[in-house]
Order: sequence, then C-alpha cells, then structure tokens
Amino acid sequence: MRPAKSVVEIWLWGGPSQLETFDPKPDASRDYNGGLKAIPTNVPGVEIHEWWPELAKCADLYSVIRTMTHTQNGHESAAYLMQTGRLPGGGEVCPAIGTVIAQAKRASYAGDLPPYVILTRPKGRFSEVGFLGPDAAPLVTGGRPSSPRFAVDGIVPPEGVTPERARRRHDLLARLDLWRPDAQSANAARAAAFDAAGAEARRIAEGDAAKVFDLSLEPKELRDRYGRTEVGQSLLAARRLVEYGVPYVAVNTSGWDSHKRHFETMKRRSGETDAAVAAFLSDLKAKGLLDSTVVWMSGEFGRTPKVGWEAPWNGGRNHYARCFSALVAGGGFKGGRVVGASDETAGAPVRRPVSPQDFLGSIYELCGIDPDGPLPNAAGKKMTVLPPASEEGRLKEIYA
Amino acid sequence: MDVNTTRRLFLGGAAALAIWPRDLFGAPGGESAGGEGAFPWERPDGAATDSVMVRRLYLDLAGRIPTKEEAQAYVGSADPGKRAALAERLLGSRAFADYWAMRFCDILRVKSEFPINLWPNAVYVYHARIRAFVERNEPWDAFGRALLTSQGSDFRDAEVNFFRATDRRTPEGWAEAAAQVFLGIPPSRLPRERREEMARFFANVRIKNTREWKEEIVYVDGEDRRGELCDRLFGAGRQEAADAFRRLVRGWIFGPADARARGSGGGAMRLKDTLRAIVLSDEYARGSVTGGFPARRLDAEVLDDAFCALSGAKRNYQSPAPEPFTFLPPERPTVCIEDGSISNGFLTLFGRPARDTGLMDERGGDVTAKQRLYLFNSGSVHRQLGGIAAPPGKLPDGSPNPIYGRGFAERVDDIYWRLLARPATPRERRLLVGVWKEQGGGKGRNARPGALLHDVAWCLVNSKEFIFRT
Repeated sequence: MRPAKSVVEIWLWGGPSQLETFDPKPDASRDYNGGLKAIPTNVPGVEIHEWWPELAKCADLYSVIRTMTHTQNGHESAAYLMQTGRLPGGGEVCPAIGTVIAQAKRASYAGDLPPYVILTRPKGRFSEVGFLGPDAAPLVTGGRPSSPRFAVDGIVPPEGVTPERARRRHDLLARLDLWRPDAQSANAARAAAFDAAGAEARRIAEGDAAKVFDLSLEPKELRDRYGRTEVGQSLLAARRLVEYGVPYVAVNTSGWDSHKRHFETMKRRSGETDAAVAAFLSDLKAKGLLDSTVVWMSGEFGRTPKVGWEAPWNGGRNHYARCFSALVAGGGFKGGRVVGASDETAGAPVRRPVSPQDFLGSIYELCGIDPDGPLPNAAGKKMTVLPPASEEGRLKEIYA
Repeated sequence: MDVNTTRRLFLGGAAALAIWPRDLFGAPGGESAGGEGAFPWERPDGAATDSVMVRRLYLDLAGRIPTKEEAQAYVGSADPGKRAALAERLLGSRAFADYWAMRFCDILRVKSEFPINLWPNAVYVYHARIRAFVERNEPWDAFGRALLTSQGSDFRDAEVNFFRATDRRTPEGWAEAAAQVFLGIPPSRLPRERREEMARFFANVRIKNTREWKEEIVYVDGEDRRGELCDRLFGAGRQEAADAFRRLVRGWIFGPADARARGSGGGAMRLKDTLRAIVLSDEYARGSVTGGFPARRLDAEVLDDAFCALSGAKRNYQSPAPEPFTFLPPERPTVCIEDGSISNGFLTLFGRPARDTGLMDERGGDVTAKQRLYLFNSGSVHRQLGGIAAPPGKLPDGSPNPIYGRGFAERVDDIYWRLLARPATPRERRLLVGVWKEQGGGKGRNARPGALLHDVAWCLVNSKEFIFRT
C-alpha cells in the first residue's frame, strides 16, 4: 500500500453530539434522541442521523467509528489528547498530528506554501507546534473563503497591490538609505537572515501559491455544491491545497459546544457541514485524489446522551468523552464501514472501543509514519510519535 | 535639493523649527548610506545618533516606539543630560511597568491554560503583583523571598501562584522552577544533587482545593524550611542570584548571547537601578552599524502596538476560557495583556511566547520568511499602512492635523519620523520627490500623493531599520 500523500482534518471544535451525527438512536426515548430519526445511507444496513442527508448518499466513500472513547471531559485536555495522543502533563507541550505529519513529509514536498495549512482560524488554547518550535508553525489563512475574494494574509496580495506595484515597492525599498549594519559587525548575521527570509518570501509572493486560494477559478456549480458557507468554501480550498501537494490541511469549524438549545445549533451546523463534506469527498473522488488523501473528521469528544430539557439548558447536551463518533475516508481507509457499536443510548462502547491513540496511530500508519518510531526534534527530546500502545487497537479492519 | 534647503524642516505642529539635527546628519557628504559609513545612525566616533538613541530608549524602557513629537523633542534638544532625563522619565512611567511586567510574566509563566493552568482569576492577581514589583522597584531578592515563602489562596495571596505556575507541583518541580528563575539554571542543566538538595526545602509544601472554582490554597504541612532556602539563595555574600539577575536583565537588552556570558558584578538587585546603569553606560550608546551594539527584533506585542498607534487600528483580544469569556478593551496596549493564553495569529507569528517553559528563548526573536511575507502582503498591514500614510484629519484635541497643509516632502518626513524617529535623508527625499514628479505629482488627476505615501510607508515597515531596535 502506498502511503497517503496528504491529510485533511475537519475539526469540529466543541464536541458534536454522536446521536445527531453518526450514531443515531431512533429507538431510544425522546430524552435521548430528541424525537429525531435516522435515515438509511447508500450502504445497506448503515444509518446515520437525518440531519446528514448528503453524506447519507455517499456513505460508500467513508467509514464511521462509533466508539471513540477517552476520559477527558474538558475541551482543552480532550482536544490535546485527540490532537497529540497524549494526556496533558509532564510540563511539556507535544506537537499535534498536523505538525508531526507536515514535518515528516516536508522533505518530499516541493511547494512554496508551508506543509501545514489551517483554514481559517487556529484551534487556539494550546500550541499545536509544541516543542517542535516556530519553524514548524502552520500557515493560518485568516480571511473568509466564502467572500468574493479569499484574502489569505501574506499570500494573496491586498486589493490595489498589483504585481507591478509590488515590484515598484521592492525597487524603491532597495534604493532607500535604510539601516544596514557593517558586514564585519556583530549585526551582520541578523541582517543576512533578514535578507534571506525576505528573498524567500518574495519568491513565494511572486510564485503561484496565491492562485491556490483563488476559488473563483472553480466552476460556479461546484462552489454551490460545497455550499457558499465558511466550511463549504474552506473545504473547497482544502481540495485545491491537496492538489497543490500540501501534506496537511486542517479545516477548523466551531460552534459544536451546544450546552444550551442544542437542537437548534446542531441542526444549523449539521446542514452546512453535511453539504460541504459530502461535496468534498465526492470531489476528491472525482479528481482521483481520494485514494491518496486521508480525511478525518471529529471533535474532541461527544455529548451527554440524555438531553437536559430543563432551564437553563432548554434542550442541551454537555461534554461527553466516554463514547463519540468520528469519520474517516480515503488515503487507505475503506469506505462504507462502521467500526464499533455503542449501547442503546450511545452512552458507552459495547464492542470495539477506539482510543485517540488507536485513531491517530491509524492515520500515521496510512501516511507511512511509524507511530512507535522516534519523533525527531531539535529540542533533543527522546520521544516516540505516539506514547507506547498496543497496535491491536489500530483500525486495521478498515485499511484498504 | 541641497542641505541648506532641507535645513528648513517643518518639524510638525504649527511651528516651523529651523533645525537640522547636526548629530543626525553629521556627515552631510556621506549620502550613500550603508556603503560609506554609518550615516545617519552612527556618528564618526562609532556612537549611536540621537535618532537611534531615542528609539532605543523608548523600546527598551517603555516597550514602544517614540511618537514623532517625542523623537523630535529628543533629537532637537541641546541638553547634554537629555539621555539621563529621558531614561528617568521612562523608568517612572506606567509603560515601563507594563512592559517589564510582561517580560517577568514570561519567565514566571503567567497564563491561564494548559500546561500551566493558573486560570484567569489567579493570572490577573499574579500579574498585578509582578507589575507592582517592577513599578515599586522592589529588590529582586525580596520579591523572590516573598514568592518562595508564600502561603494562602491563589486569589488573594498572589505570590503563591509561583507554586502553581510550574511544570510539576512537586518539591522537585518547585526546586527546578526556583533554580530557573533565581539562578538562571534551566532544568536540563540543573545537577541532580542540587535539585534534590533544593527540593528538600519544599518537602512540606501542599496544595489543596477549596469549594470556590479554581481557588487553591498553598500551605505548609509541618516544618517550613523555605526561609532557609532563601537565606542560601539571597543571604549575605551570595553572589549567584545577583549575577543571575544581572545576566537576565542584560540578556533582555543585549540579547541571549550576552545572557549566556558568565559575567559577574552583582550589585543592587533592583530592576530600575540595573537598567539605569545599563542605559547610561558607554556600552549602551554604541552604534549598531559598526559599533557592535546588538540589534534586536521588536517584540510581537510591541510591533502590534506600533501598528495600532501609527494607524489607529483597533485591537480585538479575547479569551474563550473559561466561560464567561474575557474581552480586553481595544485601546489597551498589547504589552499589557496579562494572560499568556491570550494571543492571535500575528502575535504567534512574531514570537509571543506560549509561556510554557519560562525559558527566555521561548520568545522568538528571529526574522522568518513567514513574517516577511506577512509584512509584504497582508491585508491587515495594508489597511494599517493606509492609516500611517494618511493619519487622521483631526488631532486628539480636535484641531485640524497640520500635516494636510504640507507638501509631499514634508508628508514623507512625517512618515519617516513616526516610523523611524528621523527625517528622510536628503538623498531619500530627492529620490522620492523625483518619483512623485515622474508620477505627475501634484498635477491634475494625480494631485493626491496617497498611493505613493502608502508605498513609502510599506518600504519603511519592511525595512530592518523599523523591525529592529538598532
């Protein structure tokens, strides 16, 4: 099996409910399922929640894990665990999977964009780079992909700055009498580093990297299919980044932390995410990129199976790490499968629990990175990619 | 344009001051800067010019670039004691306490969230205490003793947060933190015997929760031997902590290489006194072109404040953790942000430390291609340059901004003063006026110089002279 070239992570910050995504419980009481239903998919025997009709039409493209499980019910610790495979503590911040994969694939990637691109905001709350240091930092696009012009700070020139004007500015800058240390002085090395960084930045600015973010080059019909939403157009940009060769792309979505009025929030977030992810998977497939691209979608945990109908929650669900769902596709994962089974309220795994280490370990394996191998770092720490764990748990049953 | 013409500079405001800072253009023949000597950053004797000194003093002592008026007042002053006078004024300013509190909060790991987890209440209390140490010029050893011997609630007894803001809340963890902060020895270089020896003094320290959310009590269960440790660290005749303090402060001014040097000398362990001695020294007055004074890239927060002050842009800092969210006032300087967990893409890009380790080098001071790309091309910088090239039409007192009555060359000088604390050199001015004329400057449809001034601001922001404290 050839290792996957790229990974696209769809991060659902806040922790979406397993019941209203991929583990619906139509036979449970309204206190658990809110009176909502499951729908069949194009894979016989596989049902998902009724708010994901587009993904129901292409369930053969992805697999669902219904028994993700861990013990951290705080956003930050849970996100750290789902991103690094490690529990917080020990006084060090370990790099997240995106940073690790991007660094591992850096040598075989020739693009001008950094090997790790985040659309459009960082997760925040902990440094994804950890001890790998600022050199490994992802490009965080900022901007709004759904606006007429996706202005990626630093890559896409601002309106009014034509290539001609940019060139004139550089020419002018070179002719001004600005501070420059003597070549023999202690500051010469700093100045040289500044100039070298500038030369590289200019090469990137004048190359074709900016075109990757020009979504107007895509057919209108395709853009509509993704949805003219932030998540939709972010995923379209993610596909273009994969085509460009970027090894790791994260699309961070938020708004899944539905303590209060859960059903209203969830319905809105599901609708636009459903359309976007379904269009994205089909598009990757149509372009022949799905087999070489791992796609994974999860939050840091799920939500309490029992609905809090009373005030102040008014139909809310709280944090719940014991049992939640994730989606994987492409890059060596089979489609159309369901891993694990939960109890009658999606409150606990009854078969085949999957830990964050198992989950991340599988992605690393499909990318050709040994999860038990060393994690190279300039800080000189002796550390493996993931903490020692049994490889039994990895998702080998859905490896293609 | 000859030197005599350019002597008649309008130095801002309504008053036309006919001064041409001698010191700044002491070598009027050396117009091709960089190649032929140090003009206008260095005098023939290798010392920094006034323009360099005023920017250096503001950046080091107040954590910001000087305004045009502040720069011109310094450069235009004939007072031989002006460096000492400005240093004294800045050491007594609020900005000094804000900026140096930020630096001490870096090494004391003041942040709400993972992996330190002080949480917001304690962050604000601890920051206020650290800022007070800076502002009151409290001796470092007395402050250290207050931290190391503290007991009580993290909400009310700010000093106890020293025990919470560590890697590991164990006697060994506290020993490592104490060695790192007060002796300048990072855990990786702390000999095992020494760690064990220091840890014994913390053996009876405990932390317990209360019923208040995130309130913790630090207390001693049994004999409290922490005072003995303080006597060993700070007692009479102990030089190690004094040397470490001096290296720490010098490292912040002269760079990490200096901080690693073994220099000694001890002296008073008071921040303002130590800094005063540094900034009044001959060493500090050296030039940075040939003179060997080490350039330092502006801190992320300082750069952010510079952009906001220059362009009138508003900040938007907030923290989602924990609820209820924290929103910081948009006019409050970024160097004042107490919590290391509050950041954004810009600050991270320019090296605001996560405050995970408390090590000085966690704050990034390099210049990277990503940073330069951002300054070349970013939409937010572009908008801010617009604000720099075309400052508000009204001054804070409501009177019209006089810069709008001025010609192109004076508009250029205005931008130079605000960004670099100096006017354009005569050659620069000739060059820019030439470009302006080529573009049909001042005539017909091209009567407004906005785009060219925007480009000038772009050039300066993308120069070493702006991004470094030289």
